[in-house]
Amino acid sequence: MGRFIRSPKDVGTGLLLIALAAWFAWLGSDLPIGRAIRMGPGYFPLVLCGILAALGLIVLLTGLAFGGDAEADDEAQRIAVPWRGILLVTLSVVVFGLAVAPLGLGPAMGLAVFISSAASRRFSLPGGALMAIIMVAFAWAVFIKGLGLPLPMLGPWLGGY
Amino acid sequence: MKWKTVAAGVAALALGLMPLAGAKAQDYPTRAISMIVPFAAGGPTDTVARLIAESMSRTLGQQIVVENVGGAGGTRGAGQVAKATPDGYTVLLHHIGQATSATLYRKLPYNVLTDFEEVGLVTDVPMTMIAKASLEPKDVAALVAYVKQNKDKVIYGNAGVGSASHLCGMLFMSALGTQMTTVPYQGTGPAMNDLVGGQIDLMCDQTTNTTGQIKAGKVKAYAVTTKERLKALPDVPTMQEGGVKDFEIAVWHGMYAPKGTPPAVVAKLNAALKQALQDPKVIARFADLGTEPVSQERATPEVHKAFVASEVAKWKPVIEQAGVFAD
Amino acid sequence: MEIFDHLALGFSVAFTFQNLFYCFIGVLLGTLIGVLPGLGPVPTIAMLLPITFGLPPVSALIMLAGIYYGAQYGGSTTAILINLPGESSSVVTAIDGYQMARQGRAGAALATAALGSFFAGSVATFLLAVFAPPLADIALKFGPPEYFSLMVLGLVASVSLASGSVIKALAMVVLGILLGLSGQDVYTGTPRFTFDIVELADGIEFVALAMGLFGLVEIIRNLEDEHTRTVMVQKVQGLMLSRDDIKRIIAPVLRGTVLGSFLGILPGGGAMLSSFASYSIEKRVSKDPRQFGKGAIEGVAGPESANNAGAQTSFIPMLTLGIPSNPVMALMIGALIIQGIVPGPNVVNEQPNLFWGIIASMWIGNFMLVVLNLPLIGIWVRLLTVPYHILFPLIIGFCCIGVYSVNNNVYDVYAMALFGVVGYLLVKLECEPAPLLLGFIIGPMLEEYLRRAMLISRGDPSVFVTRPLSAVMLGIAVLALAVVLLPSVRKKREEAFKE
Repeated sequence: MGRFIRSPKDVGTGLLLIALAAWFAWLGSDLPIGRAIRMGPGYFPLVLCGILAALGLIVLLTGLAFGGDAEADDEAQRIAVPWRGILLVTLSVVVFGLAVAPLGLGPAMGLAVFISSAASRRFSLPGGALMAIIMVAFAWAVFIKGLGLPLPMLGPWLGGY
Repeated sequence: MKWKTVAAGVAALALGLMPLAGAKAQDYPTRAISMIVPFAAGGPTDTVARLIAESMSRTLGQQIVVENVGGAGGTRGAGQVAKATPDGYTVLLHHIGQATSATLYRKLPYNVLTDFEEVGLVTDVPMTMIAKASLEPKDVAALVAYVKQNKDKVIYGNAGVGSASHLCGMLFMSALGTQMTTVPYQGTGPAMNDLVGGQIDLMCDQTTNTTGQIKAGKVKAYAVTTKERLKALPDVPTMQEGGVKDFEIAVWHGMYAPKGTPPAVVAKLNAALKQALQDPKVIARFADLGTEPVSQERATPEVHKAFVASEVAKWKPVIEQAGVFAD
Repeated sequence: MEIFDHLALGFSVAFTFQNLFYCFIGVLLGTLIGVLPGLGPVPTIAMLLPITFGLPPVSALIMLAGIYYGAQYGGSTTAILINLPGESSSVVTAIDGYQMARQGRAGAALATAALGSFFAGSVATFLLAVFAPPLADIALKFGPPEYFSLMVLGLVASVSLASGSVIKALAMVVLGILLGLSGQDVYTGTPRFTFDIVELADGIEFVALAMGLFGLVEIIRNLEDEHTRTVMVQKVQGLMLSRDDIKRIIAPVLRGTVLGSFLGILPGGGAMLSSFASYSIEKRVSKDPRQFGKGAIEGVAGPESANNAGAQTSFIPMLTLGIPSNPVMALMIGALIIQGIVPGPNVVNEQPNLFWGIIASMWIGNFMLVVLNLPLIGIWVRLLTVPYHILFPLIIGFCCIGVYSVNNNVYDVYAMALFGVVGYLLVKLECEPAPLLLGFIIGPMLEEYLRRAMLISRGDPSVFVTRPLSAVMLGIAVLALAVVLLPSVRKKREEAFKE
């Protein structure tokens, strides 16, 4: 199999683009299409899905067609996927979103900074906590006091409003 | 073990704060009130809200902070207020769209008629039927004939689905029994730009947006949509004078609190609103906009509630007939 | 000369102690919110509107205007330092500016941005003073077909933002457009790609997308090889521009200023295009286009100048016609109304104090900004020497509050998290995010103008070529596309021949 694939990256990209095109087409499948004169909301997206799929196909083929030797594409294997980073960075942002309305800006900010700091290999518990505290204090000073954003520091669950 | 301590602490904290949450209605307001405007800052509704909020803040002794929660034709902001804690610290300032959204949106996550406590009506902003300066017809009668003759060759611009200009256009077409080509824009600004530039023919919009252009002669004003002529535009006749019978539309604004807000709190808000409507500064600014505050009798929860119901009923057939829905 | 009387009047208004003070407050606040990612001029001005109640109209408008163009200065700072573009115009700055920062040339990049912005702002203000009314008429000549063609031109230009494969860049543009179409359809109100979530009814928030694709992706990438790099930049070179740098930026600044001044007048999204267009032009005229994307100073100088020039001239439709060209201008109009001034074409004649006072204050404000920003560069650059494991959680904190503060909508925060992951995948697949963002910005406008043009012309597509302005722009777009595609085709053929 490896012989047909000149560049796994391009093949992957091609497949991803085609899948995305199909997904968007499926999502928009019940939108009225209309005619060129009076285009419906589904017209433009459908055209775009077609173009995206075509471009995906081209990328896919360039990854396959030019037979020959597999290019020095081993860079992909060399880099370890930073799972810990991806997971914790994403988690910290999501936790902020979940916490900001019920708990308020302060706790949400503290949690986000603390969780994300754990993504680093040089993380330490007191260090993370300290950064969280500093950032909460900064957010309070700049965003709440300084700029007067209408966000409660403590949410309704913690006795704020 | 640690967690137990934390949990106990949180519970104690929550219990300790409980009495605070039930602060008495007669003390209201003890902190800032947020007034949700379901449209972008800087628009006509936002302007009305800010003028009112500034005056009411002085009466209530607490800051009223205007918050713009735009999106989905005003239903996102309204929905947020419908779901807010009914303690009087979250209020809504919405316009005619509150009544029309009941029909325009078939999947509205709240009920316009039952999920709000009406506080009172605020103002009726009149609308004007305006056209590009080069449009042929001289007056309303000629315009009606022109539209009937040219039908969909006449291009009517509006500020988007559910906007006041959209509603006015629907009402006009339904009154004339004919269809024009409707071209929606994202807000009044770009639509006005194309009208002044002569790309589109007609538009009906609030005086807030049109007075400056009319006075400068950049657009042609055919009629105002109120019963009587306006002080700000004395030369522009009414639709009635032009022979379009029963054509009346104003962008009325009202204030709402979430369902379940204590009556005493609603009464306090209403009293402050009524006072704001008599504030000379508010009256003067409203006059600049070509409008005036509603009469004291109309600025009551009862009248407001009945009015919303009648407006919902009025617009239902017009919207259904036009077959336009926003979802 | 009438213009001198007008300017004299303007400066006499702007040079009062009170107005100088509010101008300073405005630009200072503008710089601050510009630097804070996410927090843009719109919410800031909205929050400050109540304060302006008590001010005379001229002072109020001078301050609000200062916030707007001040934010343009500050906006590039985080883009350059930490690859975090807070608004559409700084996406372009991030491309080469951040690379410069990684090479230790953050000081030079920031200085280029500040000086370029100052020059462009001053020139554009001059144009505003002399040519405002005739320029406003040009804006009115732009109908839907012209805007459509302009957007097509912009999209073609966007391909040049990428330094890798042209096909992948095109695919990213298309993907960006699709994402941009999410939300309520302007024409029918039909929701598209919203998964029936009310909070998504207005589509994906630009700030969320940009911070996810640029800011979060960059953090994840830096975590890849964390053990080899403890601070982001090993050595920080000189803070100021070398003689060679200055020589290199003069022409891009001039071109950017002209381009930005012109596009800024157009209310339909022209200002947004100017920085992209400028980048594209600089890359095209450069003797060594391969440097672009790897820290070319021209790629900072041109777009930053264009962006600031556009910010100044975007006041033209608002001041001379009473028509807002963007949400900030809509707010200014709101401020005028609250002050009891009916915005419209008569403001120039009826309120000469206001009109000329604001224009004069812009020049003063730009001067204050450059004086304010140049010394700050030293502080910003020192920020980069903070160990990365301390810096990045703070960046994430700023991203969160920044995105949330735009609409107070948690779905924007979730979207940012999602685009962080998606963006990382795309980057690993060598698909660059910049063209995607431009597609996202331009796409919805492209569709809107296309459908509007077709409605108004009653379905006759020939309007695009029979209206001269539109035809010219489409012609340029076709030429540009050919120029972009040809080398890659030729390269492919050469490769094929080699084998």
